[in-house]
Amino acid sequence: MTETSDKGISRRNILKLAGIAGVAIQAGGLVAAGKRAGKSSESYTGWESFNPGTQFFDRKPFEFAGPAHEPVGEVRRPSHTTDYVFGRVRNFQQTLRRHPDWKLGDPIENLEFIPELEAFYKEYPERLEWDYRTFTETIPTHYEDSRKYGNYYLLASAYEAGFSTHGGMLRRPSAPPEVSDFPNPNPMMGPARGPIPFKSPELAAEFVKEMAHRYGATLVGITKTTPNWLYSEGWRGCPADYDFSKMPAHWEYAIVIGIPMEWDVVLSNPQFGTSVDAYDRVSTAAIRLEGMIKFLGYPARSHTPLTDYDLIVPPHAVEAGLGEVGRTGFCITPEAGGNCRMAVVTTNLPLNTDNPINYGVARFCNKCKLCAQSCPSGAISLADSPDGLVIRGYEHWYINNGACYNYWQETMGPMGCRLCVATCPYSRKDNWIHEMARKIDPRDPTGAVSSGLLQIQKHLFPYPDVDDYHRPPLGRFASFRPEPPYLEAEKYLDIPITKPGK
Amino acid sequence: MFIDSNIFWFLMGMLFVLVVAGFRGYAKDRGWILSWWKAALGIVWYAIFLLSFYAWGTLTGENEGEAGFKILLLGLFICLISGVGLWRLMAKKQ
Repeated sequence: MTETSDKGISRRNILKLAGIAGVAIQAGGLVAAGKRAGKSSESYTGWESFNPGTQFFDRKPFEFAGPAHEPVGEVRRPSHTTDYVFGRVRNFQQTLRRHPDWKLGDPIENLEFIPELEAFYKEYPERLEWDYRTFTETIPTHYEDSRKYGNYYLLASAYEAGFSTHGGMLRRPSAPPEVSDFPNPNPMMGPARGPIPFKSPELAAEFVKEMAHRYGATLVGITKTTPNWLYSEGWRGCPADYDFSKMPAHWEYAIVIGIPMEWDVVLSNPQFGTSVDAYDRVSTAAIRLEGMIKFLGYPARSHTPLTDYDLIVPPHAVEAGLGEVGRTGFCITPEAGGNCRMAVVTTNLPLNTDNPINYGVARFCNKCKLCAQSCPSGAISLADSPDGLVIRGYEHWYINNGACYNYWQETMGPMGCRLCVATCPYSRKDNWIHEMARKIDPRDPTGAVSSGLLQIQKHLFPYPDVDDYHRPPLGRFASFRPEPPYLEAEKYLDIPITKPGK
Repeated sequence: MFIDSNIFWFLMGMLFVLVVAGFRGYAKDRGWILSWWKAALGIVWYAIFLLSFYAWGTLTGENEGEAGFKILLLGLFICLISGVGLWRLMAKKQ
């Protein structure tokens, strides 16, 4: 039996109609709310935020005692001359200028490299091919491309220039660690004070982390500095005859901090992105941290992207619990994925250290391969696991940095590529969808959740063809996602602009 | 903004009550007996239905509209298939 209203429609029917309208309004409302959530500035993890809440992932359940890295063979410390790509290509370029007639296939001895570099190229012959190609083919072609299409990317380069200008003002250590790392007398505040004791290393670590966040760090972790990961030569402020064989005792602790690149810009790589936004911010935060520690009377030295490093950062970041080594060889963090630029402050301020974490990256990277499949230079391994990939005595993923650097020189806009960062499913903002994945996937022992999410990522999200990232006629200088509206040169600039196409 | 406000989510809650009331009326008309487990399954189904729209909006908001639309279609497809099964369950006399 149904009651009937004055107009002859039953109350139940009214309720049913209202229910149907409710479904439509709820669906529409959730689309609008979702759109808002997707755009929300709060979802831009760590970008221009200065608070401790940016390190939101609960690492406790995924910690293990460590270390995360165990040598599997003879350990060799990294070299500024060979392993560090900028150092190596600078040496290569200078050598090639002295021997302009040298061609690939000629005896390498004819190039009269310094012995370390010659030995390196004999160990990694493919790097010699890539470095040669960079200077004989890619860079000359890039000059032509820049003349033709450069204006299309002008605002992206301008955006980068702002950060570079500030970065150029940051001070590098100008004396050996025994001098430059120690607090200087401040003419305004009298003589340098001795170390001010903390109540405990736990409280010291808590304070340092709080400060790091307030200086702009999105992520911060603490570990012991590992001598094997110090550069074997060329520390800043040190003469050539300095004894690089021993780690300075006051570098005992490594405070590792990380900051993401701007999220919309990073997705528009490889043509519109830049690393320098995060380089500038993370370098600034590290230098602030160094100053604060020195003020308390302890020695400190910051190792940053814009003031250079005396150590390699990714393994320290992994040991400090910030993330895990991914297929790309760098540290994949739970909050920002691979979109995280890092710096280290070394000190002897007694600090409680963090444990490394295992939240499923290793297993995921084995099956994902999206970064490797998208890499225009083929620098990232497509192997099913990192087994057998040994670099300087440690077994883990690493890339061919010669091939990687070669493509950096092909891209338009700011130098670099960062496509592996953009395509990594972990490099996503902080809204409810990605938060759900971050919470559920690491707790799924079967790996079914990550496999399902990976299928969604591979089949429902668009990925440009790998050739499209190259210069015309093979490609069209594609970007992973379109540039943000504020970098559209055609919108703002009154100059001739040629958009590249096939 | 209204969409960010607590009032928005309060209204969404009110609408949900309305949808449940409308569904109960519909079930009565069809003579369905709504046991607790049927109601729970219905809520799960409706949550998937609404989440598909929420996901579409969210991905559109972060400039992944194409993927968002495909996920909406996938969600609606799942709802269609599971909805047929759910309909038969609802009609069961227990």
